[in-house]
Amino acid sequence: MTFELSYDSKKRLVIGGVLVAVAGWIMVDAMAGGAEHWGRVLVRLPLLLTGQGDGWPITGGFALNILLSIASMAMATVLGTLLGISTLAQSPYLRLPAFFIMNFLRNSPWLVLLFAMLFILPFQVEIFGLRIPFPPFVKAVIGLALPTAANLSEVVRGAVQSIHSGQWEAARALGYTTPQIYRHVILPQALRRMIPGWMNLYALLTIATALATVTGIQDVLTILNTSLAMESERVLVYFYLTTLFLFFAYCYPIAIFARRLERAVKGDNI
Amino acid sequence: MFGLDYSWLADPAYQSWLVTGVINTLELAALSSSVAILIGMLGALGLSLRVFWLDALIELFVEVFRNTPPLLQMLFAYFTLSTLGLETTDPVTGLKMPLLSAFACACISLSLFGGALAIEAFRSGLETMPKAITEAGRSLGYSRWARFWRIEVPIASRVCLPSLTNILTNLFKTTSQASVITVPELMYYAGQIYNDTFRTLEVMILILIIYVVLVSILSYGMSRLEAYLTLPGYGKEQ
Repeated sequence: MTFELSYDSKKRLVIGGVLVAVAGWIMVDAMAGGAEHWGRVLVRLPLLLTGQGDGWPITGGFALNILLSIASMAMATVLGTLLGISTLAQSPYLRLPAFFIMNFLRNSPWLVLLFAMLFILPFQVEIFGLRIPFPPFVKAVIGLALPTAANLSEVVRGAVQSIHSGQWEAARALGYTTPQIYRHVILPQALRRMIPGWMNLYALLTIATALATVTGIQDVLTILNTSLAMESERVLVYFYLTTLFLFFAYCYPIAIFARRLERAVKGDNI
Repeated sequence: MFGLDYSWLADPAYQSWLVTGVINTLELAALSSSVAILIGMLGALGLSLRVFWLDALIELFVEVFRNTPPLLQMLFAYFTLSTLGLETTDPVTGLKMPLLSAFACACISLSLFGGALAIEAFRSGLETMPKAITEAGRSLGYSRWARFWRIEVPIASRVCLPSLTNILTNLFKTTSQASVITVPELMYYAGQIYNDTFRTLEVMILILIIYVVLVSILSYGMSRLEAYLTLPGYGKEQ
């Protein structure tokens, strides 16, 4: 009795084997005294996830990272779409500044930009007597949204340019104005092609939220450092592995899904 | 101008810090980029061999390093490599010292992070290779290695140059995160300077501009290289 395994299933078997081996190694390590260390991690896990020892209410931790990524992505989506369309504008007065801003933001390191935003943005702004405070969280959102917006503008640009020029001509012949063409003709079609790039960028942004620790908000890295200060040095590895795993567990499914969508979108021609 | 005070820039001490910072940043970026490119090539070669277990291991490596923050990878490397037993005894003082300096840890983790990204880029470059070309090489009697090195790499590296540019600029920007583990590069000295002068805003604006200029030079150089290396029939029409 023989049966042949396909290449992909053999590969999956090896990956499964490696995961089992890692799990086995963790078990062996746990027998050899690691269980105590994992116990410490377990005690601190609610703190790492939500910023509270009891797990409720959510004041920080990994939940704050996710909140930060969602807020930044929302802001970056609006800014990036505007910036991307501006780089395609006919008028050089709009196109060239947009190009300059896009390249400046794309070429600046996320960490440095975040630091710069921390100092450039005031603690609060006063508009018409209305005081809008800028807590570190808002600064982190803006600091992370800016480079994401610049990268997204590139995605938007590519998607808009991939729409056949016949669509533009047809819409113009029907008397649509440029904003109307974008809103009713181009963007609805380009949206479908933007989604994989948008999702990839979201995964990248979530990974970059680890940098927000420099703004002093109670994100997972800040809490990791404060809890490590309370623990013995021997548990360091276990805490770092747990935090790395948190990011991986959140970002990997998104990356996989984005890749699947990318393949699905690649084939269609509008 | 704008009420910014740059008088501290006249101080030779700060000038030398900035220059040292730039040099260390360039060194870190150059070292980790070269290793990353090497890892990328070897990884892509490994994937092209279509050996299922190698394929699986490389995929695991890529996914783990792509989906976790490089900052955390660096901290992990910095704090755990010494506790895992990689220690030496300083012959002069007799004290226990971690075998790897902060610079070495940053270099290792950045190389692995960049390498994971580069494998992906080179793989997609190799995938776009027309089958006829590798078959032609095979019929001319090229060995697997010679085919990879003399035919596939020259073509694929040109095809994936744009994505490689992205990766290298990304890696260059990520070197700024090495300041967190006290590698004395540009961002680290920025902190030193504003701790000294309290001119946080001015220092950060200057550092931001220096980084943007350096990264712009890198991406401009890469685009020139791209233009220089174009093969007729591949990539954008000139």
